[in-house]
Amino acid sequence: MSQKLDPKLFDRQGSRTHEAEQMGRPSLNFWHDAWIRLRSNKGAIAGLILIVIIMFMAIFGPSMSDYTYKEQNIAHAKLPPKIAALEDIHWLPFDGRDKDGFDLYESKGVEQYYWFGTDDLGRDLWTRAWYGTRISIYIGVLAAAIDFIIGIAYGGISGFYGGRVDNVMQRIIEILMGIPHLIVVILFILVFEPGIFSITMAMVITGWVSMARIVRGQFLKLKNQEFVLASRTLGASGSRLIWKHLMPNVMGPIIVTTMFTIPSAIFTEAFLSFIGLGIAPPEASLGSLVNDGFKSMQLYPHMLLIPSVIISLLILSFNLLADGLRDALDPQMKK
Amino acid sequence: MVKYTLKRLFYMVLTLFIIATITFFLMKLLPGSPLTNQERLSPEQQELILDKYGLNDPLPIQYVNYMTNLVQGDLGLSFQYDNRPVAQMIAERIGPSAELGFQAIVFGTIVGILLGVIAALKHNTIWDYTATTIAVLGISIPSFVFAGLLQYYFGVEWQWFPVASWEGFEYTILPTLSLSVFVIATVARYMRSELLEVLNSDYIMLARAKGVSAPVIMVKHALRNALIPIITLLGPLAVNIMTGSLVIERIFAIPGIGEQFVRSINTNDYTVIMGITLFYSVLFIAVVFIVDILYGIIDPRIRVSGGDRK
Repeated sequence: MSQKLDPKLFDRQGSRTHEAEQMGRPSLNFWHDAWIRLRSNKGAIAGLILIVIIMFMAIFGPSMSDYTYKEQNIAHAKLPPKIAALEDIHWLPFDGRDKDGFDLYESKGVEQYYWFGTDDLGRDLWTRAWYGTRISIYIGVLAAAIDFIIGIAYGGISGFYGGRVDNVMQRIIEILMGIPHLIVVILFILVFEPGIFSITMAMVITGWVSMARIVRGQFLKLKNQEFVLASRTLGASGSRLIWKHLMPNVMGPIIVTTMFTIPSAIFTEAFLSFIGLGIAPPEASLGSLVNDGFKSMQLYPHMLLIPSVIISLLILSFNLLADGLRDALDPQMKK
Repeated sequence: MVKYTLKRLFYMVLTLFIIATITFFLMKLLPGSPLTNQERLSPEQQELILDKYGLNDPLPIQYVNYMTNLVQGDLGLSFQYDNRPVAQMIAERIGPSAELGFQAIVFGTIVGILLGVIAALKHNTIWDYTATTIAVLGISIPSFVFAGLLQYYFGVEWQWFPVASWEGFEYTILPTLSLSVFVIATVARYMRSELLEVLNSDYIMLARAKGVSAPVIMVKHALRNALIPIITLLGPLAVNIMTGSLVIERIFAIPGIGEQFVRSINTNDYTVIMGITLFYSVLFIAVVFIVDILYGIIDPRIRVSGGDRK
């Protein structure tokens, strides 16, 4: 038996091409997309949070205590860390006792609390540590920024114009690449007295080369692609091609390279301080604090441990963030 | 290949020449005098000493003299250590540095490969995460910080190993460990990503389809191919060991070249600084050159396009 179907049950549907074209979600541009990928990377986010915390402490830490970074008080020299809220928890190293459990604050009759202890001249290590962090970050960011500018200009010109210009510029780079980075840095600082500026400049002298190479490589790859050709055909000028079409596409690798430059500059500065070519006292950087800490390591390990932990965390967090950014911005670069 | 090698050789010599020139002129610009107790010497005595070292000659003549001596392997005399020839000083101190560097590279590479293999085989498990974490930590913690921690805990606190000095194998353990951290981390990272790529390739799938057992696939097919690119790491690693040795030798009081370099920097011993700078440069450039040539020989895929590889 057959079922009788009422035609009213059916409804004529017109073509709904309009709806089919509609976007269900807001469209993502490159940066949104990268941010979503970065957000899902736990290591990178942990690194980002750590950097924010350390930067916060580097800016406000020194003014939290009542001392300045160069104020000496020999009577209070070599005190271990002591923090008011933690002083009764003896397994934490903040109870104001030295390795043998001897309360130096009591024996010296010191009323104040030195959160990270003091160094051998009685300077407050809390203030010095965060002040040193500030200098280290400053040098790292400054060196990365100068590398960024020189590298983009040099690599951009070399890659965009190509031909003989590129040839000459590449030969120069090839020779610079052959010279060991550290040797140049050491020689440079030997000639110009160590200071924030000379240390930064020394790192920049050979540091910009890797950025220039990356920018040039990307430019070479991109400049013959169709979208550039199309724009060129429509009569776009050289500067428009560079700034509107090439640069936005090269930004990913550039940012990643810059992010890796910062921790390596921080490391180089610490290294220089360590071999006696760094910031001169009473100024401090994390490297010079670690170096000072070595001198009294056996009896007062806190002088070595505190700056060591901070510099390791700082470099670690920058590396984690840079790793995450590389995966998020340019998965092809991963290698 | 021959043309490529020759071209590289030419660049090598050119780079060395430029480094030698830069070093020479920078040394001339240096503040401070190489004469130690300058105040106690009469002007005549100072003149005599400067004459003896040829420091009164016009700059171009000093430069030519320096370069001719250099070609003959003569690095000049030290200002600080009783006129000892710099070349001899370097030769005497090369032993400990070379031993440490060698141990660190070998130990670091083996551990790094192991870590990398474990991480790749147990991809996305707790093993993988542990190995990756170790690698990131190893790259981030500066070697002198790590050396300080080792020295404090293993040397001072627990007294398992000697704190410093250079008298036997047990004295090399802590410095070798400190130097190899970076090697371990770099090799492990590289090995992991390289293996993950190789394990996904078609020829591994083919071997698996043919019923080859997992260990054989790993050793005969995957590892062999993943190991080749590790050679390219040798250049950067050698540089890192070289830099690391400056601080590590100082921390552990090892009579090596790095320790001498740092000491010379602090005493304005120009000739020694120049000598060691050149020594390091030659070493660095030679390693990079050898690695490039070796890589071309080992991996034929590179050789094909080798001629114009930048």
